Amino acid sequence: MSNSLSDAEARLALHEVERGRERVIDQIGMPAWYWWGLAACWVGLGVLNDVANAWAIAIATVAFGAVHSAVSQRLLAGRQRTGDVRVRADVVGRRAPLIVFGFLILLAGVTVAAGFAAYADGAEHPATIASLFVAALILLGGPRVMAAIRDHARRAESR
Amino acid sequence: MKDGAGFDELIHPATRLSIVALLAAADWADFAFIRDELGLSDSALSKQLSTLAEAGYVTVERPLSDRRRRVRTRLTPLGRKRFVAHVAALRGILEATEAAPV
Repeated sequence: MSNSLSDAEARLALHEVERGRERVIDQIGMPAWYWWGLAACWVGLGVLNDVANAWAIAIATVAFGAVHSAVSQRLLAGRQRTGDVRVRADVVGRRAPLIVFGFLILLAGVTVAAGFAAYADGAEHPATIASLFVAALILLGGPRVMAAIRDHARRAESR
Repeated sequence: MKDGAGFDELIHPATRLSIVALLAAADWADFAFIRDELGLSDSALSKQLSTLAEAGYVTVERPLSDRRRRVRTRLTPLGRKRFVAHVAALRGILEATEAAPV
């Protein structure tokens, strides 16, 4: 049959193959609750930093790290936004987990910098202010990071 | 069912090609996800999956751990191999046409 297949039919079939891959690429992302939960925890830790003692802050930070580690591993850096499909690692790209991790490191750095800036400005609750600022970055930036990963996957497909 | 040079007649029909292409980009996909993405009826998708499963191209699982009644499908290594060969055969047809003297 392959011998009788026309150029147009082969092109149409390849288009359908690409469309199938795109349908799966569209599923790359983190669930919305992940970003909202992360932002809420960030604010919670910020508030604790301003009002609680060192022990409470340390315990809350370790607990946050442990829970986040467990949750983010399950979400596999955008490969399983829903329970409907798990995207292959080679489709998402090897750099996707590093990009998400890098984003979180950047957020931590911004939190520290914003906290010092607020403190230098004489703010009464610098950690709370910094965490609110970063929580907004999480909600705005998180989905954009995943969109960039999806775009990267589409570009890799077309190469 | 397998034709020469990687072209696979079992995969090639439009609906089955769409199903296999979708599964090729995923570790697994839920039955309902494939049905909704491709706009198929339950019976139409079941029929195509049965054909692919009989050929050993896909597996259909029902995870016991899941409280929801899910049916999870995935491409087997054989199915993936045949899909890759089929896509290469389709590209070969286009390349042969482009290389042919006008």
